[in-house]
Amino acid sequence: MINIQNLILDNYDLSDSKIERVLSIACAKNIDFADIYFQYKNAESWTLEDGIVKNGSSSIDSGVGIRSVCDDKTGFAYSNDFNYKNLVSAANMSKCIVKHGGEKKIKIGEPQKIQKLYDSISPLELEKDDIKVKFLKDIELYIRNKDSRVDQVIINISASYDSILVINTDGIKEFDERPLVRFNVMVILKEKNRREKGSAGGGGRYPYKNIINTNLGYEFADEALRQADVNLNAVECKAGSMTVVLGPGWPGVLLHEAIGHGLEGDFNRKKTSAFADLMGTKVASEQCTIIDDGTISQRRGSLSIDDEGCPTQYNTLIRKGILEGYMQDKLNAKLMKTKPTGNGRRESYACLPMPRMTNTFMLPGKFEPSEIIKSVKNGIYAVNFSGGQVDITNGQFVFTASEAYKILNGKVESPIKGMTLIGNGPEVLKKVSMVGNDLKLDDGVGTCGKDGQSVPVGVGQPTLKIDEITVGGTQV
Amino acid sequence: MSLIQSKKHKDILLNISKSLNKKYDHEFNLSVSDGFTVTCRSGNVESIEHHQDTFMSVTVYSDYRKGSASTNSLSEESISSVIQKAENISKNTQPDKCQGLPRENYTKDESKDLEIYYPMDLKIEDVIDLANECESEAFKTDKRISNSEGSSFSYSTNQHILLNTKGAFGSFNSTDYNLSCIVLAKEKKSMERDYWYSSVRDFKKLESVKKIGNMAAKRTVSRLGAKNISTRVCPVIFSPEMSVSLISNFLSAINGEVIYKKSSFLLDKINEQIFPEFINIKEEPHLSNGSGTRPYDSEGVLTFKKDIIKNGLLKTYLLDTYSARKLKSKSTGNGVLTNIIIDSSDKLESNIISTLDDGIYITEMMGSGANILTGDYSRGAFGYLIKNGEIQYPVTGITVASNLVQMFKNIVSLGDDVDMRNRITSGSMMINDVTIGGSS
Repeated sequence: MINIQNLILDNYDLSDSKIERVLSIACAKNIDFADIYFQYKNAESWTLEDGIVKNGSSSIDSGVGIRSVCDDKTGFAYSNDFNYKNLVSAANMSKCIVKHGGEKKIKIGEPQKIQKLYDSISPLELEKDDIKVKFLKDIELYIRNKDSRVDQVIINISASYDSILVINTDGIKEFDERPLVRFNVMVILKEKNRREKGSAGGGGRYPYKNIINTNLGYEFADEALRQADVNLNAVECKAGSMTVVLGPGWPGVLLHEAIGHGLEGDFNRKKTSAFADLMGTKVASEQCTIIDDGTISQRRGSLSIDDEGCPTQYNTLIRKGILEGYMQDKLNAKLMKTKPTGNGRRESYACLPMPRMTNTFMLPGKFEPSEIIKSVKNGIYAVNFSGGQVDITNGQFVFTASEAYKILNGKVESPIKGMTLIGNGPEVLKKVSMVGNDLKLDDGVGTCGKDGQSVPVGVGQPTLKIDEITVGGTQV
Repeated sequence: MSLIQSKKHKDILLNISKSLNKKYDHEFNLSVSDGFTVTCRSGNVESIEHHQDTFMSVTVYSDYRKGSASTNSLSEESISSVIQKAENISKNTQPDKCQGLPRENYTKDESKDLEIYYPMDLKIEDVIDLANECESEAFKTDKRISNSEGSSFSYSTNQHILLNTKGAFGSFNSTDYNLSCIVLAKEKKSMERDYWYSSVRDFKKLESVKKIGNMAAKRTVSRLGAKNISTRVCPVIFSPEMSVSLISNFLSAINGEVIYKKSSFLLDKINEQIFPEFINIKEEPHLSNGSGTRPYDSEGVLTFKKDIIKNGLLKTYLLDTYSARKLKSKSTGNGVLTNIIIDSSDKLESNIISTLDDGIYITEMMGSGANILTGDYSRGAFGYLIKNGEIQYPVTGITVASNLVQMFKNIVSLGDDVDMRNRITSGSMMINDVTIGGSS
């Protein structure tokens, strides 16, 4: 199989000594450390719409990024040409962050034994194209046969194979081969003159067959149909402050937005986060323990090593309501005099690493989900969300429900539409009064954007009750 | 990017096109961009990033089957491998009579100066000073400016080339200069952050560092001490940036793709009243210095000036070749969107806030709450309470909800504070009867 070693290092005759030479140049006098990141990424996507598989697309993106770091200053250059001459010129550009010349003698290390969280495979190569196409057609036929109100079906299956090598001046040399598969189905149902959509999907770091040869595709199809059907009957939502019960799994996007971003090291080093200086203080109710864990096998948000060559970890961010840890990359950990936590991630060789989340979730509590719903007199039960956003400085976050219901006297009632939740990160989790025993991780659909860089992430949570949060809707 | 390189890339494409398998129609899109970004924070350089990006995509059609592939390497080996890949994909996709290259109105490389290409020999040292001064202007503006996320300058030169085997060929160059500043302000328990930026094609047209620093600081300080308010239905003024966001929802809903998929709340609405009579929306693809200016779209179809909304009526959907064929119509050269101008046949308000008795001025919205299928609209927001034409105090933790159909119809006036930085240009918009959700 094509990987960094045979495609790039061997092909361009890049021996260890040549890479050492490049790093020596990038590591001028006063440079604290430098790293070089090789990447070869192959991705593809197949889409069915209007009853046919209309288009397939494939992309190959490869390149090398060189970074030089001096205190809190970073120099960076990249190239998609792996010729030694080009690497030397990128190293020279990268070190221009310091005015001094000079070079440091560098000796690169050997790869460490790191536990692999997924197989070194390319999903693209393991499955024939006609099988992927047939799978999409089978799912669409299933959907069309199941419900006569189906007006539109769009199904997509995509995969990528990302082979990386990171080498730095501290002796790190690590390879990682990262498979990723994603499936999505969207249906529009039409009843009388109303059209509503439902969508579902999932994926992970595994071969296509984990979806194609299982029942998963059909389960997601059922789920999309169910959601669209619910939305056909949804009524307008009342605006104001109320009690909200969040369902398990994907609603964990709450933790990602309200808490996660605010606990990334860079914002706290620069003291631009609403959570800066809150370490050791109470930021959530005692029932809340929140984890960022990059080590779960085959999960979308997991990585065997981060993009700086550090193994990922199980990091406790909040323990029983007390803020305990930030997520760090190498640069911010060094400046904050702490250790990297395996959260240094980058979208590609053409971007700088930053502290990023992996799989962020809340540990389960003691309540039965039914008990939680029963306890609400008048409120909302939100089970699916389309996404969220946060302002890390004032802590304000928003997320938008794609499936939600009214709760009246402890019973789930009619579905509601167009509901947005808005709250304040350091405050909202203090209002969590009941945490369920039903922790669930999402199905593998999350993508997080920060400073223009997108990376795959995971979220999760048990059912939980927020006593009071502002709900947006059209009714007063 | 030098002219020599620019010629090199054209030659690469012309050479490939000579040795293609004639069984297929091919379309090539090549873009190359070069530049750097310098960020300064707390008076020091924080990062210097050198950019150099190449992207080439190939789309092939054979017997109405389509395949596409892309690469970021222009080596002969990579190029022949992506062509092969696209051809292989097309063997597995299903035929669709609407697929294929455009048959008319395509570019034939009539070189024309679009006035969007102003390259310069910029030194990194010079722009470091610009970024530093910009940040320091922000700190000078107000004592409550307490911290910074830095000030960034970026420069890039870009070249686009398109070629297809039915005879379309075109290329154009552009430059982008961007200077931005993000600062934080603190007062008591309140901490806020905001920004300002200038984005232009020609370095000479960049806003002054003083203006950018000042604006960033003023916007940030004005957010301090934000309060919660009660739920209400009231008139809302959307700032130019937020108006652009609403108009981009409108443009998404008239895009050919969502129309033929029947996924838009503006399905079957040609010649119907979408906006009040005084609203006009035009596309102007060839504006001098325009941030969306281009001679042809992503398929090489020539872009042209058109009315999208005239006297409030919807005049056209935005179609590329495929969606046009699906809808039995003609491409409108909208494989991409160019410059969109929102205008009024009434007089633009010179101080729109002074015309609002009791309502909210929204300057920021968050979350993904615009449903293009139904028009349902629900997002989080930040803004200011307005009474008797004057800003009272900043408000936070609010939501904005309505339906886009109603919101567009309820526009009552447009401001003259037009934001020229985006490809969509609009002034502030006042819209009646918007539900604002609050917590008290």
